[in-house]
Amino acid sequence: MTAFSTEERQLLSESAEAWFADRYGPEHSKKLSRDTEDGFGREEWKTYAEMGWLGLALPEAAGGSDGGLTELSILLATAGKHLAMEPLLPTLVLGAGAVAQLGTPAQQEILGKVAEGACLMALLHAEPASGFARDHVEAIAARSGDGFKLDGAKTFAIGAHAADLLVVSARIGDASGPVGLFLVPGKAEGVSLNVSPAMDGRKGAAATFSGVSLGADALLGGEEDRLAAIDALLDRGTLAACAEAVGAMHAAAATTLDYLKQRKQFGRALSEFQVIQHRLVDMNILCEETRAAVHAALTAVDEARPGAALAVARAKVQCARASRFIGGQAVQLHGGMGMTDELSASHFYKRLSVLEAQFGDGEWHLRRLIAAGAQAPASAASTTGMAAG
Amino acid sequence: MFINALARDPSLESFRQEVRDFCAARIGPELRKKLDLGQHLTKEEYDGWLQALGEKGWLGGNWPREAGGQGWSAEEAAIFREETGRAGAPWLVPFGVTMVGPVIYTFGTPEQKAQHLPGILKNTTWWCQGYSEPGSGSDLASLRTRAVKGVDDDGAHYRVTGQKIWTTLAHWADWCFCLVRTDPEAKPQKGISFLLIDMKSPGITVRPIITLDMGHHVNEVFFDDVRVPAENLIGEENKGWDYAKFLLANERVGVAELGSMVRYLDQLKGVLAKTMEGGKPLSESPEFQRRVAELEVQFATLEALVADQHAAHQSAADQPSLIGAAALKIRGSELQQAILQAMTDALARHGLAYQADALMAGWNGELMGPAEMAGILAEHLHRRAATIYGGSSEIQRNIIAKGALGL
Repeated sequence: MTAFSTEERQLLSESAEAWFADRYGPEHSKKLSRDTEDGFGREEWKTYAEMGWLGLALPEAAGGSDGGLTELSILLATAGKHLAMEPLLPTLVLGAGAVAQLGTPAQQEILGKVAEGACLMALLHAEPASGFARDHVEAIAARSGDGFKLDGAKTFAIGAHAADLLVVSARIGDASGPVGLFLVPGKAEGVSLNVSPAMDGRKGAAATFSGVSLGADALLGGEEDRLAAIDALLDRGTLAACAEAVGAMHAAAATTLDYLKQRKQFGRALSEFQVIQHRLVDMNILCEETRAAVHAALTAVDEARPGAALAVARAKVQCARASRFIGGQAVQLHGGMGMTDELSASHFYKRLSVLEAQFGDGEWHLRRLIAAGAQAPASAASTTGMAAG
Repeated sequence: MFINALARDPSLESFRQEVRDFCAARIGPELRKKLDLGQHLTKEEYDGWLQALGEKGWLGGNWPREAGGQGWSAEEAAIFREETGRAGAPWLVPFGVTMVGPVIYTFGTPEQKAQHLPGILKNTTWWCQGYSEPGSGSDLASLRTRAVKGVDDDGAHYRVTGQKIWTTLAHWADWCFCLVRTDPEAKPQKGISFLLIDMKSPGITVRPIITLDMGHHVNEVFFDDVRVPAENLIGEENKGWDYAKFLLANERVGVAELGSMVRYLDQLKGVLAKTMEGGKPLSESPEFQRRVAELEVQFATLEALVADQHAAHQSAADQPSLIGAAALKIRGSELQQAILQAMTDALARHGLAYQADALMAGWNGELMGPAEMAGILAEHLHRRAATIYGGSSEIQRNIIAKGALGL
């Protein structure tokens, strides 16, 4: 990974903002969500490839820019702000992330296709009995000839409905085997997808695998247990979701402020009432706090600092609380209009609700911090450089 | 007084049982299934239930006997609401029986009573509430829908022009009780009148508003020079604000929605038992156990507050203040949302798939997660409005600040 310079990050942020501000917005999101089978824009995806955004964090050998999660998060925060519908996070952070981290040289070739925009991906790890727990895997990839036969059920994941290639976790051999990650074509025989929108209108699918035949080369890397790698992958997903939420919460706070300045009741703008002002102030403080916490965790992850995983958990706790407050208040302060499908407040509320829950909600990450014995004294609890972990 | 509670009346327990038995007997298996899944009911399905209540005399049970009711005490009314809520019975649509009915039997002419009360008590007519306007939400008294009095060959009438918004079930309503401005020169509260408008009148357009749960509950209603006979005026012209306030006061203790919360708490426990984490049900999670206990403490407190308000109502000569109602509205709506949020947090383990289409009758796809998931998520989204409708939490706090604290 080559860290981008400050100027390069600035440039990326500006070009992404310019494009999304021009092309996107609640109306466009709604149209894609409801009027297309995929629920997102294939044309938009092509543009992302042309802009080099799909390769931002991919190796140069794959035609990427070799950036870090920070660079990807700059893009995702902008996508979050403008309610972009495309499966950027599932494809780039989870799917391509898994391949880049674990794949054999032959498997790494997939990354070139991802960068070109020719391969959409998704990770199917959680199962009906796992909840947010990351180490509960019941799916089994039994040995079959040279390859495997995959059976199991995976929980609904956004983007899985349209993925060319699914990354699926399963125990190798039998129920006591190590957990491996398998590359499964979305259209492979024996893959049954139950497609649905998520609460925020993004489409995805739950999956059932019934005797899906896989070659030996479907297994990512070797036969070692990958639970630790999956944990790290999900941490990257967690942080990417936080970045997207930061964009969404800033936009939710901004649109609420605009609305309250123009909405008049009792002969004056609602923004002139002190109770409303204080609420808006709290929303904005939370936005800035969360942005800072997420930024700190990104630095910890990209620089592979010790305790980076705890920084991610802390960022997620902060982000989840901020998402709930800001999303809820965006609706509340808009009054009845906040309840409508017409205004963006309800869309930000739902988007923030989904991002809050993805990869474990605030309570779950808090429990993780407790389990890690991370209740260090305040002086040692900096989100950037933790001794613990 | 520190203690407002009256001694408990043992006869109330047999009434409680009677309501339970009625619910068990009259909610058939087909309706039961839809209610358990949280599916949208048709108008006919609501009618089936509400008319059964009407025949039993329970729909307007808390109306006075002379108006055709049972003259229930506030406690009896509360038991009825709680037990129908506990049974997960269809929503007791309030616009006729709870809202406009008492206004008509209190302030209406003999003709108005004869025309409207039987249909309300039997639920053969549906009503909607024409209060809010695009520019008049929290500041309701600023409403601008104009009603101009005139006389034509058919007699005295009003011509109504304007727009109402958030009109729940206007698309099913036969009648609308409507606040209109009859004197634009007077102070805002002084120039308002209370009109009963036939929804079939020429010039009325109902346009749906789709809300964040993707459901159609509310509407915009446009009035374009709608002719309303003058005999449809309630009480005196320009006194409409008084009748609107009476309606609000009359509604007071129901606003806590205890019945629905009993149901939600039951559902929450069901969801926790059915949702797994690391191979174990969430009902075994200390975090969720604590959360359920917290919610039950809040519920018990609210229940106690409601009982206290009933007692105050029965023992005091004057009506309980709006302060109590405002506090019940704040706490009730917040608790509804908190229980629904707890369910949503648990169900998020299924990826927050939202199968809104599964709430339509006849859907035959494959459900994800517990069968009731889509219905609960829809309810969670829909009840984000609980702290907004009927006077937002901010407005309720203003009422207490002004009325109780004299600020």
